Amino acid sequence: MSQDKAVTLDQLELIFQDTFTENTYAFSVNTTRDDIEEWDSLSHIRLLTAIEANFGVQFDLDEIGNMTDVATIVNLLHEKLV
Amino acid sequence: MYDLPWLLAPPDDFNERCAQLKYHKTPADEVHALAKYALSINQSNRLYQAIRKLNANTRSLLAHTLTPFKLGIVSNATMDLMIPSFVMAAIRNGVDLELITTDFGQVAQEAFDPDSKLNQSKPDAVLVALDYRAYPFFGDQSVASVQITPSEKALNYLQQIRESFKQKGGMICIVQTLACPPYEFSGNFDVQLDGILRKSLTEFNRALVDDIKNSPDVLLDVAAIVNMVGACHWFDDRQWYLSRVPMANTYVPLYAEYLTKLIAALRGKSKKCLVLDLDNTLWGGVIGDDGLEGIQIGQGHPVGESFLAVQQWAKTLKDLGVLLAVCSKNDKDIASEAFQRHSGMLLKKNDFAVFVANWEDKASNIRYIAETLNIGLDAIVFVDDNPAEREIIRTMLPEISVPELPKDPSQFLRILCAARYFEKIDFTDDDAQRNAQYSSNVRRQEIQKSAASLDDYLVSLEMHISFAPFDEFGRKRIVQLINKTNQFNLTTRRYTEAEVLQFENNEQSVTLQVHLQDKFGDNGMISVLICKVYKDRWEIETWLMSCRVIKRRVEDAVCDELVARARKSGVSRLRGFYRPTEKNGLVKEHYRRLGFECVGSSDTEDVWDLVVDRYQIKNPPIKVTKSSVTA
Repeated sequence: MSQDKAVTLDQLELIFQDTFTENTYAFSVNTTRDDIEEWDSLSHIRLLTAIEANFGVQFDLDEIGNMTDVATIVNLLHEKLV
Repeated sequence: MYDLPWLLAPPDDFNERCAQLKYHKTPADEVHALAKYALSINQSNRLYQAIRKLNANTRSLLAHTLTPFKLGIVSNATMDLMIPSFVMAAIRNGVDLELITTDFGQVAQEAFDPDSKLNQSKPDAVLVALDYRAYPFFGDQSVASVQITPSEKALNYLQQIRESFKQKGGMICIVQTLACPPYEFSGNFDVQLDGILRKSLTEFNRALVDDIKNSPDVLLDVAAIVNMVGACHWFDDRQWYLSRVPMANTYVPLYAEYLTKLIAALRGKSKKCLVLDLDNTLWGGVIGDDGLEGIQIGQGHPVGESFLAVQQWAKTLKDLGVLLAVCSKNDKDIASEAFQRHSGMLLKKNDFAVFVANWEDKASNIRYIAETLNIGLDAIVFVDDNPAEREIIRTMLPEISVPELPKDPSQFLRILCAARYFEKIDFTDDDAQRNAQYSSNVRRQEIQKSAASLDDYLVSLEMHISFAPFDEFGRKRIVQLINKTNQFNLTTRRYTEAEVLQFENNEQSVTLQVHLQDKFGDNGMISVLICKVYKDRWEIETWLMSCRVIKRRVEDAVCDELVARARKSGVSRLRGFYRPTEKNGLVKEHYRRLGFECVGSSDTEDVWDLVVDRYQIKNPPIKVTKSSVTA
């Protein structure tokens, strides 16, 4: 994994900690929606808002639909931030 | 403004403090401290969840520090996401908000079905959270009737909903104006084109404002909020299409703050007094160092104009009934001279009800201001450019609202305005005259010093009192007094305008509104009573009086009147109640002083009885100009 992605992953971990109040999962690039019980449609919107605000990006409709695991989010952010 | 810049940003250990909440020594205080920050939706959610995990006992301790309000919500959009933000913003504004949500889009069902969730649970108010998408603005114009425009159709629909909630559940509605989304069809001409959204919304909002004026319902002016932040920012079509969220999530905290400010205002919790620092708050520079010519205030200078705008704001607030005060570390004569002699100064010294310039600490001075004006600390907003002074006041007097300010004075005005401390739900004659009444009070206090005895003083005031049952002319002021009065208030029962209307029309209620005049001016309506009629007795459910007329034996005159009226109705007994709150210790012995006998006492209520025939008439030096007994 490149340096850039590692930085993004660290920031993303903080956003996940902020969004999900329960600490019952191990955050990694492999984390998916299935690993986090709290990750429902409502918290998905909060997660999305927090990521967009933190990185100053905007996701399109397709991207939002696909953002169901950390790896995808990291890749999308990487595309937008380079 | 989405990040509520008048509030402090949450500290770095916010999440940790939420996690530790249940181990905190005084969790209710900690919740108040945490809710005061500018919370994002994630942070509101975290604190909300942490509060839910507290045990029932601790939660009721927290509720005890707040004013309860039950709010029903109907909407054409998804509101679930906003609930934690609503509840946290409510705590910030002193309200314990209980929410009754309904399923998305169930507006008509909830309104028209008498057995619906809201009509059955009868909350204090229903938030009718509808935006333009809830109404038939995009109907087929070719088949539309020429008789009825889209805005009329929409308004009729909303009127039916409001009327139905009123009739079936006795609730008032909080109704939204409609913000115009950033859609254009023919540019500048849209506002003139029949059937086009911009024109329809403009007509709708204007008609709604007129309609609300003559009803007990209140307006949440969403169009004004969107006007402030901008439609391209407010509306996020992605979120609407994906999950029916009506506005960009980033604006949920702002919407929650303004909604709960309105609810707090319905419960009389708007601020009453604006306390202002002087140097670098009302003018640029330091008068003690820079001198009269050195400070910047007035036209022709960017810094001077920035401060002039702040003065203009304060002056307008004063005209709307907000009390102004100065609290400044300054030499009093030098500070006064600035107001008297500087030509750029808009505010004058007599615009301030209290003027404190000295070298004492500001916390003591603000306490003194509150005592002089006879208002609670929680009714005060303190504006100071100095972060250290702000921090001291926040720590010493946490009840006081202290807005954050940036360094640049050109930004002061918009931040102070956006904080919406002085939310109003009506404008009464009393508001218009408040400052005059308070300055008359200062003159009355001066006479009191020279008068030989209290009774001499009262005689010299030449007081005239008049009594009447509730009526439509007094209604707004009655509602205001019921919801604002904290100190001279025996039971602190709060009622909405709809409920007051019921007392007015109900044969089982005896009501009194009391007006007082003296040689210094008209004090307006200063006391309100509501009695419930039983076969052999009247129970005084509400007895309250404005603090301005305390210690003038007005309550004696009121009691004489009430007893006379009871006698005339053939009632043999009056029963009064005292329900202690944090603020009404003043009237704990009220009924004893009037000659009532205590017949029961518990932590939550003392019960007092008076046998009407044994009442000794008080006859204070107040002339009765109109009695409700002969009426």
